[in-house]
Amino acid sequence: MPSRTGSHSPAGFGKSLPERGLLLLMVLVFLEGSVLPLGAASSPDTSHQTNLGDHQGTHTGPNSTKKPFPVLAVEYDRVQIPFEISLWVLLASLMKLGFHLIPRLSSIVPESCLLIVVGLLVGGLIKLAGEEVPPVLDSRLFFLCLLPPIILDAGYFLPIRPFMENLGTILMFAVVGTLWNAFFIGGVLYGVAQIQPANPSDLHQLELLPCLLFGSIISAVDPVAVLAVFEEIHINELLHILVFGESLLNDAVTVVLYHLFEEYAGVGTVTLLDGVLGVISFFVVALGGVLVGAIYGILAAFTSRFTSHTRVIEPLFVFVYSYMAYLSAEIFHLSGIMALIACGAVMRPYVEANISHKSHTTIKYFLKMWSSVSETLIFIFLGVATVDGPHAWNWTFVTVTVILCLVARVIGVVGLTYVINKFRIVKLTTKDQFIIAYGGLRGAIAFSLGFLLNQDHFPMRKMFLTAIITVIFFTVFVQGMTIKPLVELLAVKKKQEAKRSINEEIHTQFLDHLLTGIEDICGHYGHHHWKDKLNRFNKKYVKKCLIAGERSKEPQLIAFYHKMEMKQAIELVESGGGVKLPSAMPSTVSMQNIQPKKPPPAKPVERVLPQLPKGREEEIRKILRSNLQRTRQRLRSYNRHTLVADPYEDGFSDLLIKKQRMVELEKKIKEMSNYLTVPAAPPDSPTMCRARLASDPQAYSMKPVSDSVPTIQVDLASPQSPDSVNLLDEFRHAGQQQPEVEDQGLMMKPPSGPSGPNKPREADEARDQQKLMRCLSDPGPSADEDEDEPFLP
Amino acid sequence: MGSSSSNMDHIPDAQHLMQETGFSAAHLVRLYERFDFLDKDDRGELRLDDFEAVSELAMNPIGDRIIRAFFSPGRETVDFPSFVRILAHFRPTDTNRTRNGRNGAQPEPANSRTNKLKFAFQLYDQDRDGKISREELLQVLRAMLEMQVTEEQLQSIAERAIQEADLDLDDTISFDEFKKSLEKVDIEHKMSIRFLE
Repeated sequence: MPSRTGSHSPAGFGKSLPERGLLLLMVLVFLEGSVLPLGAASSPDTSHQTNLGDHQGTHTGPNSTKKPFPVLAVEYDRVQIPFEISLWVLLASLMKLGFHLIPRLSSIVPESCLLIVVGLLVGGLIKLAGEEVPPVLDSRLFFLCLLPPIILDAGYFLPIRPFMENLGTILMFAVVGTLWNAFFIGGVLYGVAQIQPANPSDLHQLELLPCLLFGSIISAVDPVAVLAVFEEIHINELLHILVFGESLLNDAVTVVLYHLFEEYAGVGTVTLLDGVLGVISFFVVALGGVLVGAIYGILAAFTSRFTSHTRVIEPLFVFVYSYMAYLSAEIFHLSGIMALIACGAVMRPYVEANISHKSHTTIKYFLKMWSSVSETLIFIFLGVATVDGPHAWNWTFVTVTVILCLVARVIGVVGLTYVINKFRIVKLTTKDQFIIAYGGLRGAIAFSLGFLLNQDHFPMRKMFLTAIITVIFFTVFVQGMTIKPLVELLAVKKKQEAKRSINEEIHTQFLDHLLTGIEDICGHYGHHHWKDKLNRFNKKYVKKCLIAGERSKEPQLIAFYHKMEMKQAIELVESGGGVKLPSAMPSTVSMQNIQPKKPPPAKPVERVLPQLPKGREEEIRKILRSNLQRTRQRLRSYNRHTLVADPYEDGFSDLLIKKQRMVELEKKIKEMSNYLTVPAAPPDSPTMCRARLASDPQAYSMKPVSDSVPTIQVDLASPQSPDSVNLLDEFRHAGQQQPEVEDQGLMMKPPSGPSGPNKPREADEARDQQKLMRCLSDPGPSADEDEDEPFLP
Repeated sequence: MGSSSSNMDHIPDAQHLMQETGFSAAHLVRLYERFDFLDKDDRGELRLDDFEAVSELAMNPIGDRIIRAFFSPGRETVDFPSFVRILAHFRPTDTNRTRNGRNGAQPEPANSRTNKLKFAFQLYDQDRDGKISREELLQVLRAMLEMQVTEEQLQSIAERAIQEADLDLDDTISFDEFKKSLEKVDIEHKMSIRFLE
């Protein structure tokens, strides 16, 4: 596609969408840049005017001249702050939109880089207009408003199982790795600053403690940057959780080191006692944060138990409790990030068991939305703050910092892996180590921490900020852009896209029990033993407290199964009506007449198939076809966006099972109709058939002998009317070639259907894929997969 | 830990066992100590009630299956080599072992991925016909779900599980289908115990 950027011709109809997107982007950037300074400029004017007006007004005596009533007045300062905030948010969102309209750009350059560039542009524009750049990356704004949504999103959807399994490794990287980085960078910088006695430069003013402080600020891997970049490269779960977990857990270390060095940088020395206190403080900060988060999480879970009558505000509890956890931890200088993670992770399984499906969707979408906007804003602000300065460029300092960051990271990862691999069952390979080292991105947290520094205590603050920004730019641009091709080049294992199947779930639970048993026999109190104990405790006491009603006794497998079926049902509805819809069958067909191909010995009923005269068979075919048409018509008039009423509250599960059986029944009969084996059935009118079928599901009370995958039916026309059972079968008939009939003639062969429920038919593959993509393409990449993770699996 | 050499003398066929299962001497000693502990009557072999004395196993939904897996078909007791051979399945996989490097006559070690899965498969397949029938799957599900679900739900889950896994459509799950359905699960990690020294 030829890029005709910058062509502002008014007749834009000839341009294709991407170019329009680009044009829109530039217009918006200009707009943004111009409005903000305008806003800053006009506010003092208007306030001045109104003051003057009032002043005049109060002085007017009885013989004052009457001013004409102002039809249109401008009063900007009243709405200034919310207006500007909204404008920024709007800019961020439109940028995000714009990037995805330009297809090739988003695949080459990660979003974070583009956003920083936009921030630079906007900042530049503001500066050009001569106005003062608003202090956008003000630490309070950042830590209290921009960071929590991202962390909550990460914590709520944290995949608990891989996280817990690799907790030791993650902690090693987070704690020991960050400490190593901080001291190494700080120490070497100090050393570098002290050399060059010949020409004394600014660097000589640098003390040891400020260096160490700088080291601790710059050494922490940033969760926002890691998330932004790693989300686009889709590497395997293990690496993702290692780097991401490290970025979350190193917050405690950063907090302690930062406060420690900041406190004592003024004094100039750190004694051994302070060091010991620092270590103790670390444990307090980390564990305290987790404890605070867990308490709030349990409170939230407990509250959600009683929300069955006020479903509308359920999501609010999740958000508010989590935010309170964060703020409470921040009061005591505990690790707010860990509090937030703990809160989200603790409350999730219980809250999800209690809330309605719609609330669940709301929570998911709100979290994704907020975290997305936050992330976008953070990167834009980084760009703006860069333009703002203040900067003090020092070649030595900056270059040494960048190099040291890389070197320290590599050495740290390699050294730690060597130690860790002694304790791991599945060792980390060199490729893994490379990705972990390369994925250590720095981000806005480092910048905000640097911004927080007091200029009086730290005369080198400007230099620090410049260096921090350079490192951030380097990691985000260079490492962020090159990590994707490197991952391809090194052939690192990618994330496995397919969802968890029920088999995996069953077998995984089975293996859990097996391993627990083996551990008990060996007398070895390992990983599985404690997990099993925790599970038991959870089931016995905790679930009863925190989950409302019957759901507290629901075993995990059932919950998983329900979730899976529900998800499928919704997918089927959202992807639109099916082309091939098996219809309701004549209800008088009895299951007794069907014989499976290989009757297993345990099967109680032996069935024989009578033969159907040819004319009858035609009639039945006609009925089937007409039913098909009717259901298709009804389907078209239906609004595809309306979901079924809340399933769990309406006993959906029973409905599902009954309907499943009906579909299996139908499927079988439909297959049989091809083999002249449909037993004699007086063809009722379709409506009659449907009514009878729907209203009397108990007619089919024997075990379902289905050979095709059970389909999910969603009651489309209205929530509970049994008359309108419609049976969707998007994917069942994929490539069902008729298998060869055995010469016994009276037997029914199972159709060779697809093995999994998610395989689209070859014929309509593209269309169905598209539809699926549309309904599954939002919100974020990892949303759907994460949900399948059960708590304490 | 006591003098390993004297302990080793108690263990019959120690060298052979070490070679066969891949356990180190220290591991073997520890396992022998455990075997001794379980063997309350000091008979040199374990019986059913010795296993059942392990209290946690009683709470395990598939505890009885695990116990039965130790006993070779037809035998009533478990001697130390059999004990160790079963536990060898749960050793962490040696990643640097090249199976095709050596002569092809070398059998696959007990803790290879395939053999681990085979062990698990045999726990499902109680009648040892090489396939997991629907009834066997239902039994496992019933045991794991501990009667908290209705029969209908059990049926649907078993139904769905078989349909997902059953590729040759014989209504049972063969070992290959079992293996395939677990291809995304990290079995080497999941089915390994770090035997402590």
